[in-house]
Amino acid sequence: MQTATIQTAAPLLEVSDFSLHRGAAAVLDRVGLTLRPGETLGLIGESGAGKSTLAMAVIGLLREPEVGLSGSLRFHGEELTGLAEARYRKLRGNRIGLIFQDATAALNPCYTVGAQIAEPLRRHLGLSKWDARERAVELMTSVGIPEPRLRLNAYPHELSGGMQQRVMIAIALACNPELLLADEPTSALDVTIQAQIMELILERVRALNSSAIFVLHDLALGAQVCDRIAVMYAGQIVEEGPSAEVLARPLHPYTRGLKSCVVELGSEDLQPIPGQVPPLNAMPEGCRFAPRCPKAQDVCRRERPAPETRDGRQVACWFID
Amino acid sequence: MLGSAAAKLGQTLLVLLIVSVASFAFLKLAPGDPVSIMLGSDFSQGAYDQLVHDLGLDRPMAVQYWHWLAAFVKGDWGTSYITSQDIFELAVMQALPVTLTLAALSLLVALVIGIPAGVLAALHRNSWVDVAATALAIGGNAFPSFYLGIILIWVFGVGLGWFPTLGFVAPWEDFWQGLWHLVLPAITLGAWYVGLIARITRSSLLEVLGQPYIQAARARGEPGWRVVWVHGMRNVLMPLVTVIGLQLGGMLRGAVMTEVVFALPGLGMMVTTAVLNREYIVVQAGIMLTGLLFVVVNLAVDQTYQFLDPRLRRRT
Repeated sequence: MQTATIQTAAPLLEVSDFSLHRGAAAVLDRVGLTLRPGETLGLIGESGAGKSTLAMAVIGLLREPEVGLSGSLRFHGEELTGLAEARYRKLRGNRIGLIFQDATAALNPCYTVGAQIAEPLRRHLGLSKWDARERAVELMTSVGIPEPRLRLNAYPHELSGGMQQRVMIAIALACNPELLLADEPTSALDVTIQAQIMELILERVRALNSSAIFVLHDLALGAQVCDRIAVMYAGQIVEEGPSAEVLARPLHPYTRGLKSCVVELGSEDLQPIPGQVPPLNAMPEGCRFAPRCPKAQDVCRRERPAPETRDGRQVACWFID
Repeated sequence: MLGSAAAKLGQTLLVLLIVSVASFAFLKLAPGDPVSIMLGSDFSQGAYDQLVHDLGLDRPMAVQYWHWLAAFVKGDWGTSYITSQDIFELAVMQALPVTLTLAALSLLVALVIGIPAGVLAALHRNSWVDVAATALAIGGNAFPSFYLGIILIWVFGVGLGWFPTLGFVAPWEDFWQGLWHLVLPAITLGAWYVGLIARITRSSLLEVLGQPYIQAARARGEPGWRVVWVHGMRNVLMPLVTVIGLQLGGMLRGAVMTEVVFALPGLGMMVTTAVLNREYIVVQAGIMLTGLLFVVVNLAVDQTYQFLDPRLRRRT
């Protein structure tokens, strides 16, 4: 039911043919994605696949001239790649929020958490110092921080890792953003806290009716928490589609490889993907996965497969079963 | 907190004790016999022995040291036998304020030039701005202060006539005149510090700007100037204050040169004159006062550091 409304709504974020270069190396290579309002998307892949880079590019922390951009990034139909910095600033922390991987490092050690939560409220919503503090208390309550009035004046180092990540979430959601980017939001936390934090983010995103992109390296986790999944390999999206289907019947050899990397209870079937991601300055000409692919043929090494629509999914492979 | 403060105090007292032993030993080791100087050219052995006894010089060293230290703490630093001036009065009431004023103004000059230079260099890394700021930093460090002082006197004092070349007017008596006389000395002494501050600011800011919390501030929509000056520089303050404190010795050393070049009646000038006159008792006062100053400033820096870094603060 919800899916039907999502399909028809105008896209919130449209990434098309988007490439990001550092020097001569293409860190992101012709990436295409569509995110509709209220949708959650998981960006899955190994380290170095370009997932975080894509998130950073969307919120505009990686821009020209620091990196080279081509293609298009549209937010509510507005082109972001060439957007004036002053205009982009009004989106950041306001309509697009970002949760960092390591909250300990992403909170300024010299300012209280209250001051850091209040910052976007004062800047984007124009709240007074007093109102911003009151709103910060509400936000802290909403992310499950006990005794928020007391914690308002705490410095980040006085809080536990889990509490710091809750503060980070409060900051990212302070202005009710339409799009939340969460860059491995739980990987720096203890296993026992991870599920709590993931659940909290999902709950807040649903409560605010926002869309979210989760950057994750765990396919199963991604399928569990997101509506859709995009699997990235070496700066390209190799497969994208509804979570359940991608997980149940992966079409791309890499997705299949990722799935069989996960140890399942009672299964002897642990198959690591051979080899490693090629370095950015020595990417193969054809399919970037070809050197590690069990099914690679001559055509794979020669030419890059274009993403093909199959059963409501996008797959970039010459040999989809 | 209390324990660490007590430990710090004990450490400070120990340093002061070592300084006092060293300056006492300096007086004992110095060539020349104060008794024969006081008696003049013609005296009997009896009178000599009597004076040695009266001055307590025939007692054990430890006792002499103790008496000397007690008198020093009470502010009884003796009398100059050249100008017959009370040395406490000369050193603490006259020379110290001059040196402190000079040092404070020099630090101000260095901060006002050094911090923006360092920030600009960091923000425009590897551009001509960075090269120019680095050149300024190295130049300031490489020019000896006596040389820079003379050049400044020559150009701005003698040539252009914009500033007075020599002498000191107390700013607490005539503020503008005093400031006027201190401009060239403060630039001379500050020039050395400019380089240091610019270099530390540049490297610390570059390191801080690479931190995730800076990215996080940008991700909240903070404008660039606030990211640098509020989120960045707040974290640069700590290494900056540490280095300023550590390099205080260098500033006191530079003050000696600067005071001599500009004929300022500060501690450096006092000690230099005393050395030339072989008035060791004044030199000794200078050593003690400098040591005390150094220790007090380091203690202050330490306290400032705890105040600046919330991670070092402890709640009660």
